[in-house]
Amino acid sequence: MGRYALQRLLGVIPLLFIVSVLVFLFIHLIPGDPARLIAGKDATLEEIHGIQEQLGLNLPLWKQYINYMGDLLSGNLGNSIRSGIPVTDMLESRIMPTLWLTFLSMAWALVIGLLIGVISAVYRNKWPDHLGTLTAISGMSIPGFWLGLVLIQIFSVELGWFPTGGVDSWKSYILPSITLGMGIMSMLARYSRSSMLETLREDYIRTGRAKGLREYVVISRHALRNSLIQVVTVAGLQFGFLLGGSVMVETVFSIPGLGRLLVDSILFRDYTVIQALLLLFSTQFILINLIVDLLYGVLNPKIRFSQ
Amino acid sequence: MSDNSAVMGTNSPIPGEVIAPEKTKGRAGVFIRKFSKQKMPLLAAFFVILLFLIAIFGPFLTPYNPDEPNYDALMQGPSGAHWAGTDEYGRDILSRLIDGTRLTLAVSLSSVLIAGVLGTILGLVSGYYGGWLDRIIMRGSDVLFSFPDLLLAIGIVAILGPGLSNVVIAVAVFGTPSFARIIRSVTLSAKETLFVEAARSMGAKNRRIIWRHIFPETVPSIIVNLSMKIGGAILAAASLSFLGMGAKPTEPDWGAMLSMGRDYLSIAPHIVYFPGLAIFLTVLAFNLVGDGLRDALDPKMKN
Amino acid sequence: MKAKGKVWSMFMLLLITVVMTAGCGNKASNEGQGGNTAGGTETSTPTTKNDKDIVIAINANFITLDPHNASDTHSISAARTMYEGLMGFDENMNVVPVLSASHSISEDGLVYTFTLQENVKFQDGTDFNAEAVKVNIARIQDEKNNLRLRKSFAKVAKVETPDAKTVVITLSEPYNAFLNKVAMAPIISPKALTENGADISKMPVGTGPFKFKEWVQGDRLVVEKNTDYWQKDLPKVDSITFRPVPENGSRIAMLKTGEADFIYPMPTEQVSEVEGLEGITVDTIDSTIVRYVTLNTMKKPFDDVKVRQAINYAINKDAYIKVVKSGLGAKLDSTMSSKTQYYSQQTGYDYDIEKAKQLLAEAGYPDGFETEVWGENESETMKGMQFIQQQLALVGIKVEVKSMEGGTLSDQINAAKTPEEAKIQMWYVSWSPSSGDADGATRGLFSSEMFPPAGSNTAYYKNENVDKWIAEANKAVDPEAAKSIYANIQKTVWEDAPWAFMGVDQIISGKRSYLEGVKVFPDGSINVLNAEVK
Repeated sequence: MGRYALQRLLGVIPLLFIVSVLVFLFIHLIPGDPARLIAGKDATLEEIHGIQEQLGLNLPLWKQYINYMGDLLSGNLGNSIRSGIPVTDMLESRIMPTLWLTFLSMAWALVIGLLIGVISAVYRNKWPDHLGTLTAISGMSIPGFWLGLVLIQIFSVELGWFPTGGVDSWKSYILPSITLGMGIMSMLARYSRSSMLETLREDYIRTGRAKGLREYVVISRHALRNSLIQVVTVAGLQFGFLLGGSVMVETVFSIPGLGRLLVDSILFRDYTVIQALLLLFSTQFILINLIVDLLYGVLNPKIRFSQ
Repeated sequence: MSDNSAVMGTNSPIPGEVIAPEKTKGRAGVFIRKFSKQKMPLLAAFFVILLFLIAIFGPFLTPYNPDEPNYDALMQGPSGAHWAGTDEYGRDILSRLIDGTRLTLAVSLSSVLIAGVLGTILGLVSGYYGGWLDRIIMRGSDVLFSFPDLLLAIGIVAILGPGLSNVVIAVAVFGTPSFARIIRSVTLSAKETLFVEAARSMGAKNRRIIWRHIFPETVPSIIVNLSMKIGGAILAAASLSFLGMGAKPTEPDWGAMLSMGRDYLSIAPHIVYFPGLAIFLTVLAFNLVGDGLRDALDPKMKN
Repeated sequence: MKAKGKVWSMFMLLLITVVMTAGCGNKASNEGQGGNTAGGTETSTPTTKNDKDIVIAINANFITLDPHNASDTHSISAARTMYEGLMGFDENMNVVPVLSASHSISEDGLVYTFTLQENVKFQDGTDFNAEAVKVNIARIQDEKNNLRLRKSFAKVAKVETPDAKTVVITLSEPYNAFLNKVAMAPIISPKALTENGADISKMPVGTGPFKFKEWVQGDRLVVEKNTDYWQKDLPKVDSITFRPVPENGSRIAMLKTGEADFIYPMPTEQVSEVEGLEGITVDTIDSTIVRYVTLNTMKKPFDDVKVRQAINYAINKDAYIKVVKSGLGAKLDSTMSSKTQYYSQQTGYDYDIEKAKQLLAEAGYPDGFETEVWGENESETMKGMQFIQQQLALVGIKVEVKSMEGGTLSDQINAAKTPEEAKIQMWYVSWSPSSGDADGATRGLFSSEMFPPAGSNTAYYKNENVDKWIAEANKAVDPEAAKSIYANIQKTVWEDAPWAFMGVDQIISGKRSYLEGVKVFPDGSINVLNAEVK
């Protein structure tokens, strides 16, 4: 187990390296000159060249990459090329809203998703199952940006129950996390249903029933416990996707988080910020995958690692 | 929206999506019987068929010219003359929705098909040959997986430029790796079956074994995944159009209609509600059909 | 039963997570209630206000607080709450004295003498004086700093300070837009400049009515009352919080719920909805922002002036304002807005589809032609492009709408090093001269030296007279002479029609009725000097 973990951990390093190269190339492939965007519409050529020089954008691409990697390895993410503010400062001030948003979305999605999944499995092919299935599939079929707009229109503008955006109080997070968690909730509901169904077919459950244990004991003590591992694992995997989803939700709800920072930075070709964000997203994503993988192995010794 | 479309790019956590090979004999009959027993998927299947009919016969069905503006009838609510109201140029929204059905289906189907073909080939190769080919393909898909998929799509469109054909490419690119993984795992188990062993021992060529023996085993998985991913593809394409990176604003694409209409949400909500509803119902129908297909094709779901 | 234990610990972990998030949620709620009350969501919208802390919601982030390096309107607005220049603008974009008590210009237009206001102090307690002005101009001119304002001061030959309250600036050649440029240059405390260095963009110190409190990137900028402000009885509010809220719908909802006291820009689509609501007032003024379609005069078929004029006749500008601007805007009747210096009204190009067809036929295109229009992918621009496509379809011109993201579009336009390489045909775009001056509204757009990538003459318009006049106008010392030169330019360009002249934006802002004195100027900057809660 220890050796396996180490092996996986070392495997992450080349992956991160490839990702860093891709991120760099990717960003420079996007058309648009940050210097021109910084300088504004009525800039002179001389001014634009001055900015390019100042930012090192006139260097050949490979040189820019070496500079970037050098900085990165010494732990320096650089300054935003648009505002001159250190990228780490920008990330620091933007990370909390995004974390709150993703955690809250995950929390309700996990609870409700599990509930729907378990009920569906227990009442398989009866009306609660159909209702649960329909709810779950509806949840994953709603365009999130549309849901967000409709929620704002109904609950903020018409009813005035929640703020339209921002991060002033816990109330601000409710509509956005409903929007963001909807897809994950549906997925977890579907997943926990099938996982429960599988568990319910296992021998020991049948034995328990045969022994005359009451149904709710069988379900809550034995079956639920078993599928919970898998559901939580899957939920963990979804964190990365929540970060991706936060881009749209943060835009619709004016939340000053990482997602919106990314959108703004892409708009202005703020290379250093885009690089830092994409690296952050993919690193956390790779790490979560790894942790989930390893945990899965610890929790469920039945799984044999193929490598 | 990426939180939903995200689902399509995941590591396929729903176990039913990987369908273990079983005997081919009589499978079609069993499948039809099982599928038609499920009410919701059946209903959804009829809705999907209806959508295709609308896509084909759209131009004959539209009550108005979908592109003709009428500056004297701006943003009128639903009425007898305009069932879904008019938009910010006074165009009939229902006609635009009907006209846009074709775009929506074309974009999502072609992107999912491309992803399906590429993913199947990669999955078969990766699973059957193993070794360094397998490692390269799987590392590649790891790299693609390490970006949230909507971001990947935004990036691809940013590089290629906007337009529906580039949306198709973007959506296909991030759909491919999950296909490849699923097909790979089916291939791995199919490789171990007796008749593949037998074929190999009789000296059959690899290509022939893959095509004649392994590929048929992956077909149910392919069908289920295709249908499950169409919904996600529609959502992803709509998200891109919503961000102004998809369809041209003149095209009656549902996502673009929603995006253009959102400034009018509070004064003429129908401009936003109807295209959103159209997207929702269509995605819902495809997802329900996919769900039904999975239940009908998955041997584990037998009683 | 090892596995069983692990299962339970997993479950507990889940439980803890849920409880923790719930607990933290509560904590956040307490903070929310104890702190900023602006987040309140009263169902009945407030019609009075008890405190003097106002919230202004705008549509984009501030980029920098360095007033010499700001190129976007919002950063300029922010800088002007904390900084002042020798000159400034009034609400009609006239240049007025601020930190300068009086000024005089020599007859040859080369020497500007400013007499400074006395008893003005920077927010760090140091004196505002002639030396401070000199330090600031030196900073702007320093090539190493590479500041946005540098080109505005390129013609400054020397700065002298005969005494503490006199500044004499000598130019290398006459430049009649110079006072406008001076008005764009706020004065930073020299002490803060030395002490804070590059961090001055995060820690502003000026002489303005408000001083810096905090700036949380992407969330808010808070400025508070400068109690030692040199103008008597100002400011009248305690603090101002600027909140960037990009989504139009959210901004308007904030105004309705009272989360914001003032919003700008107010989306034109929703003006009709909030107008007349109790407690909300909508202000509109004409801006310096003009919208137009450049027609590439070096490319067929736009090389024929008849085609360009036909396009101008074929577009119904009244319908444009009704459909695209929700009725809030004015027709563009010159090359610049009526709020720009030396504007001169033109006539003609009234909507006449028959005349358009006739002109097209004369030019050899009786059945129209195919072309494409470029523009940014934000919703208002896309709306305008669709409208143009619909209008030109009526005279047989088939237009393909190509919307691109801002950065991509700028690359497409500037990739052409010579006019022959240019792919651009039509571009739907807007322009606003940064300091309200006629030169800024003319040179970059119509001088043949300003073809991309050097400038924004994307019509590739070249007229020798116009080139000559543009050069003359700058050097004209007498305002009347300058005025007549600009009148000639406008008339000639209007007739040559390198643009389809579309409209002039209105500056639309929304506010709670108890708030007074917050004004948006024609260039889109927000002025809060006289803000007052009543």
